[in-house]
Amino acid sequence: MLGPGDAVGTGVEFMRGLRGALDQGLELPAALARSAADLPRGVRDRVRSVARRLDGNYQEDEWGFDSEFVSLVEPGFDFLYDVWWRVKAVGVENVPAHGRALLAANHAGILPWDATMMSIAVMREHPLPRQPRFLVLNLAFDLPWFSVAIRKVGGVVASPYNAIRLLEQDQLVGVFPEGVKGTGKPYGERYQLQRFGRGGFAEIALRTGAPIVPVAVVGSEEIYPKLGESPLLARLMSTPFFPLTPLFPWLGPLGAIPLPSKWRIEFCEPIETASYGPEGADDRALVLELSERVREVVQQRVLENVVKRGPAFV
Amino acid sequence: MAGRRVLITGVGSPIGSALAGRLEADPEFEYVAGLDTRRPQAELLATEFIEADIRDPIIANLIPQAEVDTVVHNQIVRRPGPGMSSHSMHDINVIGSLQLLTACERSPSIRSIVIRGSAGIYGSEAHAPQFFDEEMARLYPLRTRFQRDVGEIETYFETYARRHSQVTCTMLRYQPAIGAGLDTQVTRYLSSPVVPTYLGFDPRLQLVHEEDGIDALVAAVRNPVRGAVNVAGPGTIGLTRLIRMAGRPSLPIAAPLFGGVTDAMRRVGLPVLSEDFRRFLRYGRGVDTTRLTEEVGFTPRYGTPAAVADWVQRRDGRRLLPSLSGALA
Repeated sequence: MLGPGDAVGTGVEFMRGLRGALDQGLELPAALARSAADLPRGVRDRVRSVARRLDGNYQEDEWGFDSEFVSLVEPGFDFLYDVWWRVKAVGVENVPAHGRALLAANHAGILPWDATMMSIAVMREHPLPRQPRFLVLNLAFDLPWFSVAIRKVGGVVASPYNAIRLLEQDQLVGVFPEGVKGTGKPYGERYQLQRFGRGGFAEIALRTGAPIVPVAVVGSEEIYPKLGESPLLARLMSTPFFPLTPLFPWLGPLGAIPLPSKWRIEFCEPIETASYGPEGADDRALVLELSERVREVVQQRVLENVVKRGPAFV
Repeated sequence: MAGRRVLITGVGSPIGSALAGRLEADPEFEYVAGLDTRRPQAELLATEFIEADIRDPIIANLIPQAEVDTVVHNQIVRRPGPGMSSHSMHDINVIGSLQLLTACERSPSIRSIVIRGSAGIYGSEAHAPQFFDEEMARLYPLRTRFQRDVGEIETYFETYARRHSQVTCTMLRYQPAIGAGLDTQVTRYLSSPVVPTYLGFDPRLQLVHEEDGIDALVAAVRNPVRGAVNVAGPGTIGLTRLIRMAGRPSLPIAAPLFGGVTDAMRRVGLPVLSEDFRRFLRYGRGVDTTRLTEEVGFTPRYGTPAAVADWVQRRDGRRLLPSLSGALA
């Protein structure tokens, strides 16, 4: 790795080379090529890959997932995983190694950090790592830059059509059946799961025959402790709720810094759905029962893991 | 068995002329007629040119005389051409289609009608599914004038199909086309000296290559299916990547100022961005092409990224920004 001093030195060297080449009457692209050729190898490769991206020469899949971008931001996520939140993941082997599957997790913490930490857990600790795709609250796709980053790391708009298409492509898909009600939980009720909507996720699993893996995430509840909310600001910003936390909105953008709680993520035994057949999705009673069964598993494991984790911040 | 007889509306457009050329070269078709006020853009030796305005009720007499079995309606205007008001665009689209269907009602020989419609009917929406299938046309309200026009055409066409069950009615819903031989909103937008974008957003867009657009039309004429069929290059492309491939500098504009700034840019000669196109640039749109492949039996040769790459390679305009990786290679 280059230190900051080296980087500045290299930059100065590059500009000097460029200036020299331009003085000799070369055109800008040729001058750039000449001075780039004199850079150290590592830097040159980096410059080349940036240049390639600026030419539009990179791959994104039909959902906008960008694997180069993922490897670029990975060190940041690794830091959050290892140092900031000290995540302990258990039962990762319960995630099917291939084929379609639906991860159904509890949701807390306003911004979808729980989704990114679940991704890192599967990518790092699964014997056959695979990139989960997450259904992310619509609200997140209204935010500039943030929405672009979410797509690039595998988030899609929370639409049942998207979930079905992803599962039919045999992807691993993550959902938060509590939805926005989960992210807006008051701090005092943080381990209490909200209702699982109308069981849409269970319907999708039945329709596509995908097994459901219940996931309990503990720790995301403490990253943005919601002490209260402001209905007036929510109306002004046209958001479902406007959280007041110890840091937000008092510190402005810095208020988005999550607190360093300690996390545990447990992936539970998969619940098989294929035996009901796709017509099971039209059976309201079955859908609601399956949804409630998943909710009970997640609720119970959340409470167990709160105890196993011990104190929230140390 | 006698050959097929086809009438093409909007034969003066690049796609209409290309379609007529393809059909007259095909021995399966014994008669090709083209209806338009503009002459075809290519030398069409075997095509009978019927010079008439589609809005004129006289076509109700002209079309039955041609005794065709298939009508291809290729005169839906996507953006007003030079000297065309948005009012006359609406007239051509809605009244023209209505007159055409009325004329078809008086033609007992007709077995199929294929309309080159628009995927614009799905709209461009912030929280839409990434890929619309043919059943999702009315998920969202029709917001723009063009969308309402397309909605009206589709409603007339559905009514017609219900009343005339012996006629196979195919509504092709096209994504915006790209190609070196075309002058569309997309190619104009990507050819302007600076390309305005919405600050902080990078929508997923989907386009169709001009050749695939014509081939899909030919495939639908040969094998018409009932109902709507999406036409697009599979896959999607991010707007940022699209502009970088085109080698243009982008100008990110905050969303509330976008309309004002692009209107001001129009006054200094940059292309007009229609309301539909602005929404497309803000939210993007993708469609599912399973029906096109499995029922019409046509698989596009170019996915969306490949269609863009092909356009970049073949168009005459130079890159404005130098290719950086080329320079550093």
